[in-house]
Amino acid sequence: MTGRELSLAVIAGLIALFALPLVIDNDYIMALGISFAAMSVLAGGLNLIYGYTGLLSFAQVGFFGIGGYTATLLVVDRGWSLWAGAAVGGVLCIAVALLIGYSSLRLSRHAFAIVSLSFALLCAIVARDWPELTRGSMGIPGLPTPVMDLPGGLRWRIVDPSDFYYLLMGFAVIAHGAIYLVVTSRLGRAMRAIKLNEPLAQSQGINPLSYRLLALSLSALLAGIVGGLFVFYLTIIDPSIFDFYYTETMLISVVIGGPGSFWGVLASSAVLAVLPDMLRFTADLRMVLYGVALIVAMLIFPGGVGGWLYRRQVARWRRPKPKAPAP
Amino acid sequence: MDWSFFAQLLLNGLVMGVIYALVAMGLSLIFGVLEIVNFAHGEFYMLASMLAYFLTAQWGFDYWATILVVTGVGVAVGYVLFEGLLLGLRGEAFERSILLTMGLSMVLQNGAVFLFTTNPHLLESKLSYQNIVVGDFRMPVARLYALGLGFAAFAVLYLILHRTRIGKAMRGVAQNRAAADMVGIDARAVSRLAVAIGIGLTGLAGAALAPVYAVHPLMGFNFVFKAFAIIIIGGLGNISGAAIAAVMLGVIESLAGGLLPLALTDAVAFLSMIAVLLLRPQGLFGRGVRV
Repeated sequence: MTGRELSLAVIAGLIALFALPLVIDNDYIMALGISFAAMSVLAGGLNLIYGYTGLLSFAQVGFFGIGGYTATLLVVDRGWSLWAGAAVGGVLCIAVALLIGYSSLRLSRHAFAIVSLSFALLCAIVARDWPELTRGSMGIPGLPTPVMDLPGGLRWRIVDPSDFYYLLMGFAVIAHGAIYLVVTSRLGRAMRAIKLNEPLAQSQGINPLSYRLLALSLSALLAGIVGGLFVFYLTIIDPSIFDFYYTETMLISVVIGGPGSFWGVLASSAVLAVLPDMLRFTADLRMVLYGVALIVAMLIFPGGVGGWLYRRQVARWRRPKPKAPAP
Repeated sequence: MDWSFFAQLLLNGLVMGVIYALVAMGLSLIFGVLEIVNFAHGEFYMLASMLAYFLTAQWGFDYWATILVVTGVGVAVGYVLFEGLLLGLRGEAFERSILLTMGLSMVLQNGAVFLFTTNPHLLESKLSYQNIVVGDFRMPVARLYALGLGFAAFAVLYLILHRTRIGKAMRGVAQNRAAADMVGIDARAVSRLAVAIGIGLTGLAGAALAPVYAVHPLMGFNFVFKAFAIIIIGGLGNISGAAIAAVMLGVIESLAGGLLPLALTDAVAFLSMIAVLLLRPQGLFGRGVRV
C-alpha cells in the first residue's frame, strides 16, 4: 500500500468510526467500541514496549489501574475535574514506570520482565488490602458524570454510552497517533535497532536504556489516562481493574497481531474486542482458548499476522524482477 | 509481645520460607540452565496440591505415599514439558518462553477452575489435628514434616549438583553455555533434567503444603509472584541464593504479618526486590559465578 492509499484508508476509517453512533445508536455496539478503544490503547502501548524495544512488560495493567484510582480519588475526594485527575494519573504512572524501569533495566531485560510482573500483582494486592486509601475490595461505586467545558461556553455532559464512545475513541485516536509518530520517526528506528541487535545499536551510539525508558513512559502515560477515562464509563472502580485478564488480552492482541507491527496490533485488538462476545463461551473456557492460541503462536507463528505479512513482502522484494520485453 | 508468640511467628515463617525455597529453587535452576522463565511454575504447584488432595481424600493414600507419588509425577511432567513445549523454542527465547508458559498457565489455571470450580478444599487427615505442644507453644505436625522435607530436598539437590556428573554438567551449562558445548556436554539432556528437577521440587512443595492450607485452583498465582521476587533477590540463576532469600522472605513476611498492617505485609516481597535491584543488582548473593 502506498502512503497516499494508506492516508486515504485512515481517513475513511476515522470517518466510519465517528459516524457509527449516528447510524446505529445501540448501547451494545457502543460498549464494544468503548472496550475496543480502551484495550487498543493498552495493546498499542505494550506493542511499543515489546514489539519495538523488545522488553516484555506486564506493568501495563498496573498503570491502567493506577490511572483509574488516581483519577477517581482526585475527583471523588478532592473534587477535581476528571481531566485534571486523569492527567495527574498519567504523570504518576510515568514516575512509577521510571522507578521500575530504571531499577530493573540496569541489570537486564530479564529482570525487567520479572519486576514488571511483580509490580502488576502487587498493585492488585495493595488495592485490596489498603482500605484506608482504596476502600478495599468493595471499590468506589457511583462515580460522578464527567463534564467537559467546550470552547464557546458549551458544556458536554458525558452520560450516554455514545458520549463515552466519542470520548474514548477520540482519546484512542490521539494515543495511536502519538504511537505512530514515535514508531515511524528516528526514535522508532532506534528502538527497532535495539530490539534486533542491542550491542550493535550501542556501538552506533544508541543508548538502549534511554530509548526503553522513553517507550515505557509513553505507554505508561497513555495507559494511565485511558484507565482514568474508562473507570468513569464503568462508574465504579475496584481491585478487579488490576485483573490479570487485561494483561492476557493485551498480550494476545500483540502476539497475534504481530509484535512490532502497528497496524497488525490495531487490527487484532479490534478482532479481540468483538470476537469473544460473539463466541459466548464461559470466561474460563475463553481463557483456555486464549492460552492455547498463545502456545501455538509462540511455537509456530512467533511473528504473528504482522510478521507473516512482512515476511511475504520481503520475499516479494527478493524475487528477481521479470525482464522487460525486448522492443 | 511474649516470646511464644514471637517463636510461633518465627517457626511459621521458617516453614513458609522453606516451601518458597522449593518453588523458587526450581524456577532458578530452570533459569540458570535454560535462560528461560517458567511462568506456569505456580500452576504446577497448584496441580501438585490438587493431586495430593485427591490422592489422600479420594483414594486413601497415606502422607508419605502421596508425597512420593506427587513428586514423581512432577518429575515426569517436567520431562514432558521440556520435550513437548520448551524444546520448540529455539535461540534467544527469554520473552517467548514467558509467553509460551503463560499460555500454558492460562490453560492449566482456567481448565482447573472449569473442572473443579474455585471452591477451596480442605485436606483433612490424621495429621491435620496433631500438634506438638511445649508450654504455650503449639506446632502442627504437618508443618514440621514440611520443614523436614524441605531441608531433605535441599540436601539431595546439593548432592546432585556437586557430586554427580550430570549435576556438575548442569552447573557448567549455567556458568558458561558456550564452554559447556565445547567440552561436549549434551545441553539437551542437561536442560531436560533441570526442568524435571525444577517441576519435581514444585510438586514436592505442593504435596507437602497441601495438608497445611486449603487447596484451590487460584492458589498458584500468588505463590509464583513471591517466587519471582525471590529469584531476583537471590540473584538470577543463583540456586543457593534463591534458597536463602526464600527463607529470609518467609520469616520477614511472617514477622511483618504479626506486627505491621496487611498492605505492607504484601508489599514486603516487592519492596525488598526493588531495594536489592537498586543497591545490589546482581542479587544479595550474586558473585559473578552462578549456581
